[in-house]
Amino acid sequence: MPWQCRAKKIFTQFLLSARENDGRLEFKLIWNNGSIMGLLSKQQNTWLASLADWQKFALAALLCAAMTLIAVPLFGHLDLANIVMLFLLTVLLVAVTLGLKPALLAAFLSVALFDFFFVPPRFSFAVHDAQYLITFAVMLAVAIITGELTAGLRRQADESDTEAMRTRALYEMARDLAGTLTVEQIAEITRKFQRQVLNAEATILLPDGTGGLQPCVGQEAARLQIEPRLAIIAFEGGASVNCSQLVDSGYAVLYLPLKAPMRVRGVIAVAPVDGDADRLLGQRERLETMASLAAIAIERVHYVDVAQNTQVQVVSERLRSSILSALSHDLRTPLTALVGLADSLTVSKPPLAANALETAEAIREQAERLAGLVGNLLDMARLHAGEVTLQKEWQPVEEVIGASIKLLGRALAEHPVKVALAKDFPLLEFDAVLIERVFCNLLENAAKYSPPGSPIEIAVRADEGKAEISVGDSGRGFTPGNSHPVFEMFVRGEAESTTPGVGLGLAISRAIVEAHGGTISAANRPQGGASVSFTLPLGNPPPVIEEEIAHEALGLEHRP
Amino acid sequence: MSEAATKVLIIEDEKQIRRFVRAALEEEGCCVFEADTLAGGLLESGKQKPDLVVLDLGLPDGNGIDFIHQLRAWSDTPVLVLSARSHERDKIQALDVGADDYLTKPFGVGELIARTRALLRRQSRGGEAATPLIAFGDVQVDLARRVVTRGSEPVHLTPIEYRLLCALLANTGKVMTQRHLLREVWGAASVESNHYLRVYVGHLRQKLEDDPTQPKYLLTETGVGYRFQP
Repeated sequence: MPWQCRAKKIFTQFLLSARENDGRLEFKLIWNNGSIMGLLSKQQNTWLASLADWQKFALAALLCAAMTLIAVPLFGHLDLANIVMLFLLTVLLVAVTLGLKPALLAAFLSVALFDFFFVPPRFSFAVHDAQYLITFAVMLAVAIITGELTAGLRRQADESDTEAMRTRALYEMARDLAGTLTVEQIAEITRKFQRQVLNAEATILLPDGTGGLQPCVGQEAARLQIEPRLAIIAFEGGASVNCSQLVDSGYAVLYLPLKAPMRVRGVIAVAPVDGDADRLLGQRERLETMASLAAIAIERVHYVDVAQNTQVQVVSERLRSSILSALSHDLRTPLTALVGLADSLTVSKPPLAANALETAEAIREQAERLAGLVGNLLDMARLHAGEVTLQKEWQPVEEVIGASIKLLGRALAEHPVKVALAKDFPLLEFDAVLIERVFCNLLENAAKYSPPGSPIEIAVRADEGKAEISVGDSGRGFTPGNSHPVFEMFVRGEAESTTPGVGLGLAISRAIVEAHGGTISAANRPQGGASVSFTLPLGNPPPVIEEEIAHEALGLEHRP
Repeated sequence: MSEAATKVLIIEDEKQIRRFVRAALEEEGCCVFEADTLAGGLLESGKQKPDLVVLDLGLPDGNGIDFIHQLRAWSDTPVLVLSARSHERDKIQALDVGADDYLTKPFGVGELIARTRALLRRQSRGGEAATPLIAFGDVQVDLARRVVTRGSEPVHLTPIEYRLLCALLANTGKVMTQRHLLREVWGAASVESNHYLRVYVGHLRQKLEDDPTQPKYLLTETGVGYRFQP
């Protein structure tokens, strides 16, 4: 039996809610009554709701007339008190089904009919016994009280119906949002919800990256006017802002921040379609729930984007890196063979003729230079591809200077290198392999652009939290006023020159130094010649605990 | 003659590189064998028992480091690794698993011969006790008496400096990775404090080199470690 099931369900629901929520027992009781009334009214709604007011009154009158027809034959068999009960029942039924006003009509009609047909003297409105006046008063009171009660309950039922509908809509919105892939979809769903459920117009505003807020793509067409300052206040303050005066000029009245777990993702501006700002502000709690649902969806979409981008980046980086290493291998292998084969000619026995020997040496030299260029190009490609991760360690700078000088070997044979460096200069944190490249490039340049036999000077000094390292030569120096472009790729100090090189060295040096958080600059020295200086941050080197028994442990006199 | 000749195995996939390495080593009087794959190299090294292996790290059928691993399981034949610049990590790894030295590509015949000679010399000295007296520049080190003199003046070294010097001298010509030196001098606990090693090498250079910024004997292999070259 459906009604039994329903009753059982309502009863259980009532018990459950009472147990869970003692403080709100009363409310739940009303709620459940509301549900009953809701059910009732829903069944009647089919035809009762369609009745106009006059039809309701007519129906009430008809019911009273019918009751009189039923009661008249019973006169004589029943007490007058019981006949009154029948009329009372009629009033009650009308009150429950048709509402307060038809019930009042029914009450007056019942009193009149009862008086006319049953109260002696019959068939007249005169009343002999004054006590019947009490009967009339009770009937009226019953009609009014029942009508009021029913109307109240029905109102509650209607409200809870609307409430349920809105909650359902909110759930549906949450469900729809869970499936969205773009912010535009989120904006559209939010807008639909606002229009259908709250009879309001809404626009989502997203930060445009320059401190302002812009309507989400695809929503520009919305006729909603936005007051940007209020939107910014809501966005930055993370609290909703409202201004109901704006409603008349067609502006959005409520600006809700889209507060997601990580941060505020934007603002949603809402305006009532019917111009009733107070109604909308009364729905604030619901609006805030909706805003946080939208915010979470936007954040989810954002992180999906981030994850996708990262994946694309990882794949493209892997590709780039594998291309680079393949290129590096394929270019270096023949160069290694070339250098080695040419070199083996120069040392072959019996020795080659002087002429051929010179050629073999030239081949070797050229191949080595080519290898150097390829190395520079690959380094540059690596640095540009962002593939280089710095292996920074604390170390004395003189070590890498010494290693660079040793590495260049023959190229520096004609230039004595002087190093000016304080004995207790602090350790610096850098990637030794890369800074060695910088020194090699600078020293090679210095040697290339200065006359044979002239010294190359390296000076290291500390200056305001950074170490400044300069490499100076005694050559012609840079063309004045043109010192910066030499750090660009393929720019050389002397445009038309027989001195070899493609100008990658300084560009690589700059990339390396900047990756270390330093700067590089070129200048001409007052005493003549060029000087390239770069800086490295000094930082806080880790302490080195010196041995305590430093100077006595070892020595000639301590041993037998 | 062929009985006594030094046997060298070249494992390298590029034919032209094999060719000039072979020519250079044969010039030195070595008997040269070749392999162009890792598997072939293992086979040859088992068959020929070479006195030296010249190994390219990038082989078509595997990483040279795996080769060193497998070779070290049964042989202490010196291994000279050929590797490209900017592959410092590969070099360190190769040295750590037992390679003896490396050459950065491209390299000249002179360098190749110098390295192989140094490795073969150390190999032929084998287990017999090295002389307790080592001299480089104007520095004399008497390992037996634990005395270091420069010119005629005694040089005072702290215990750590002395241990570090000994570790370097004991492996003349060989690259010692930073890890290796740290473990040998400071013990296993301090393998992370690389800057200690650098500071102490700096001390040694200041005490033993003419120009500490341009050392002649205690050389830096940037990104890899140090080498003592008399």
